Amino acid sequence: MFDLTHRLLSTWSASLVVDAIRIMADWMSLKWLLWISLYLVLGVLVPWATALAWAHQHGSNLRPRPRQLFQRGELGLVGLVLVISVTWDLLQSQYMPQTRALGAVLLTVSGTMAGAVWIETYCRQSTGTVCSPERTWRDSRNLVFLVFSMAVVVEILLDRFARVAAL
Amino acid sequence: MSAPAPALAKPERRTVVVRLADVSATVAYLSLAYGLLLVLFPVSFPRIVLHSWQKGHLIEALMVITLSLDAYLYLRVSYLLSAKPTAVAAAGLGSLPILVVAGVSFLLQAAVSQTLSADLPNLQARVGEEVLAHTYLGLMSGIFLPFLGIRLLQQFKATSSDRPA
Repeated sequence: MFDLTHRLLSTWSASLVVDAIRIMADWMSLKWLLWISLYLVLGVLVPWATALAWAHQHGSNLRPRPRQLFQRGELGLVGLVLVISVTWDLLQSQYMPQTRALGAVLLTVSGTMAGAVWIETYCRQSTGTVCSPERTWRDSRNLVFLVFSMAVVVEILLDRFARVAAL
Repeated sequence: MSAPAPALAKPERRTVVVRLADVSATVAYLSLAYGLLLVLFPVSFPRIVLHSWQKGHLIEALMVITLSLDAYLYLRVSYLLSAKPTAVAAAGLGSLPILVVAGVSFLLQAAVSQTLSADLPNLQARVGEEVLAHTYLGLMSGIFLPFLGIRLLQQFKATSSDRPA
């Protein structure tokens, strides 16, 4: 019993040591983190900063929060653009066609649903149908969060696969 | 006979209308957790997944996880909205995750067979990466797609009932 516990512990600790070494080695190649930050900065922070800069330049008291700036579901559009980029990367990868097809379908469906929030809000506002900005903001925020998280994981998987294929 | 007094009449509970936003945050956290495990344990976590697949337990585990999470999310939404779960949605959520994960398992088998039959270097590692990708995609599809199906069905039903005869 003692032997078995000792062996399990030593195997587990050896795996953790290998994990730690691998993390240190991979730290420099965390391209996906830079890549996703670029989307966050250009898609969310830059429009917000531009609105603040415009208000400052024109001496206006306007201080829009991201929630007000994207209240018509525009975040869904950012998600859709992100999905197009990730799907393209996935289709260019060396994964088997089944994996590429499954990933592309899942990404496209979630991106389309995020974009649909923006379209639905536009249609509702254009036709005078009841439209709640609270609900639009919540829907677009949650769906874009899903799209971003999926994009990050797919990019991590692509990065791992590219390293395996290059060996 | 007079009608029952409004105060005594039992209020009718409306049925659950699923919105994708209700479930997408939870699915996103699950996706981030998978990504974090891949980043923090780049050797151990894939080894556990691969070991589970080699033993033949991976698909069963995926079915159990997706089914439990779908049931939890549906009950949570109905509790938050104080609405009544419908039998059709419950039946859909009971069967769709299993069908989706079974479909993903067929795709995984096909992808692994194709990898092994191809004349490629580093076959073992490639198979491992295919298994990791399918595990992630199966998990996401098994949770997200059933809710998407129910959402679209509910929207279609609402549009049909709104349309004048």
